Amino acid sequence: MEGLFYAWQAVTSMPVLAAAVGGVLWGILGGALPGISPSIAMALLLPFTYNLPPLVAVVLLAAVYVGAEYGGSIPAILIRTPGTNSAAATVIDGYEMQRQGRGGEALGLSLVGGTIGGLFGLILLSTLTEPLASLALVFTPPAYFALGILGISIIGSLSEGALLKGLIAGVLGMMIATVGTDPISGVSRFTFGNPNLLEGIHFILIMLGIFAVAELMTQAGEERWTEGSRPDTTNARLKLPSLATLWRLRKAQGIGCVLGAVEGAIPGGGGSVAAFLSYNEARRWSKEPEKFGKGSEEGVIAPETANNVVSATAIVPTLSFGIPGSNSTAILLGGFLVHGLQPGPLLFTTNPDIVYGLFGGLFTANIMMFLLGIVILGPCIWLVQRPKPYLMAAIFGLVVSGVYSIDHSLFDLSIVLVAGIVGYVMRVLGFPHLPLILGLVLGYMIESNYRRALLITNGDHIVFLQDRVSLGLLICAALIIFFSALREVRRYRKPIVLPESQIQENKHDAASFPS
Amino acid sequence: MRSNLITGVLLLVFSVIFWLGADAIPKSRLSGSVGADGLPKMLAIALGVLSIGYLAQTLLTARMAGPVVGPRRETKTVDYTRHLRAIGMIVLGAVYVAIVPYLGYIPSIALLLLSVALYNGKRPSRGLLLFAVLGAIGFYLLFVRLLEVPLPAGIWPSLIG
Repeated sequence: MEGLFYAWQAVTSMPVLAAAVGGVLWGILGGALPGISPSIAMALLLPFTYNLPPLVAVVLLAAVYVGAEYGGSIPAILIRTPGTNSAAATVIDGYEMQRQGRGGEALGLSLVGGTIGGLFGLILLSTLTEPLASLALVFTPPAYFALGILGISIIGSLSEGALLKGLIAGVLGMMIATVGTDPISGVSRFTFGNPNLLEGIHFILIMLGIFAVAELMTQAGEERWTEGSRPDTTNARLKLPSLATLWRLRKAQGIGCVLGAVEGAIPGGGGSVAAFLSYNEARRWSKEPEKFGKGSEEGVIAPETANNVVSATAIVPTLSFGIPGSNSTAILLGGFLVHGLQPGPLLFTTNPDIVYGLFGGLFTANIMMFLLGIVILGPCIWLVQRPKPYLMAAIFGLVVSGVYSIDHSLFDLSIVLVAGIVGYVMRVLGFPHLPLILGLVLGYMIESNYRRALLITNGDHIVFLQDRVSLGLLICAALIIFFSALREVRRYRKPIVLPESQIQENKHDAASFPS
Repeated sequence: MRSNLITGVLLLVFSVIFWLGADAIPKSRLSGSVGADGLPKMLAIALGVLSIGYLAQTLLTARMAGPVVGPRRETKTVDYTRHLRAIGMIVLGAVYVAIVPYLGYIPSIALLLLSVALYNGKRPSRGLLLFAVLGAIGFYLLFVRLLEVPLPAGIWPSLIG
């Protein structure tokens, strides 16, 4: 009841409402721009959240995530270019519908499916998070250390086919987290006498560099944009589906809801996996499977419902245990940490207004997505048609100005540029980004709890095995790493011969984790 | 394969440097049994082990795959140019960092917008100039006026007196 009160308070609060509207708007526009993933759209806003009240900040970031998942389907349907990874499945039938002059219908299905999916995911988020989080109320410093290790071990399930690269990236992230003043003794580490490094390297700077600057670098390296190139966006008038149509498509929506819920809660699952699985299952269970690939309505609504369910359920592990399972939720976690809020069980008792307020804000964001989705199509098309160099310049301008607003320091901007180079090199070499971010955000939690636990026991490591929760979590972590390694070994024993073009694609995909 | 081997060796070297850096961290009685250098040293060892594993994996994969036909010279040149173009964006960012304390925010951001758009294929035109000027004013209004971020004013205030 108390939760409902906080959620209602958030829904009726003007700043939260403005954050939900602004976030969804930014998310749809960002998602509509190919190359700007939900995580990049969120990372670009992260510096702005610094001076905002905590609830407004997290609602703003979560609303961007919600909006971007729908925004990604707009170019997928209109110009056969998915704006986000998870909109890739929508291209198949969405673009086919556009070619048949039914682009407006496809956009309507995507919007309604996305709204239904988002609201369904929100119900799951608000009912599942607290019971899961309450499990962690019995956590001691050894258990928190083990939880951090479990979080890092998720790298194993995230690094399909690149386990060693994922682990290396995770260790590098933790190394970055050690820069600055030691949390226990106050001794400075790896600062090289530079006072700017005493407070450590802020993860926002690394996130902006790794996601936004590295993306700009990749785009600058791609084939040159030429003057006059403009995508064809005819038949672009949104047409909402009737209730009868929605009833006819209920099975496809149900499949999207179920698979989106499952995939969202699993770290590393992500919107793209959920969307493709839903597309596949919708075809399997469809009465008209032959229509798939030829402009099937079910082929649009199933993946679009699924990826919007994911935008809510992916927040469950982040809020319950403070462990993000995707790039976007890692940035949302950053939004919490910036304001000194540590997601996890205690957040429900210390800051219930933030948790339930976020649920309220997400509800508003989903409703706003539906309303804004109807009117924003025109600006989205205008934006998609803008010359790419203008967009890149504007994004770079936003990055350099936003970074300065964090700490009023040009040194921070240099760190972002260096992080951009690191992110670019990682992309080129096929190193995943998310493990580095996980190592960075979990590094502090792991170190401080590890040392706190050892301070209590005078340096006796047996404490990590005596604490039942810690032991259980460490066993889970070991199992995850073991099975990931086993899968990796099996993969190497059965090498798959790929054509050269596909090898290049895979190299790119390895760097693009679920967003 | 060659790039993987170089990466592995560089990571291994970095792990050694990181260990040495961790070893140089001043000792403190407040640090507890592990010390401020404890985790960094563990991480250095972990990175070293993983780098060796990575090198071994690369060599094993190459051995299983058999003789590798090297990529054509053309592909290599294309890759090289692509990376150079990407680095160009960082150079533009670095130039911005260098000039903004002197030129101030509005001229610097206008130059950044102009140069990034030109660098990415936009031809010089009045529209481009207008984009840079209006963009700079827009950013100024958003950051300095609305968000009250004290972005560098440059040498102008001292010149005006």
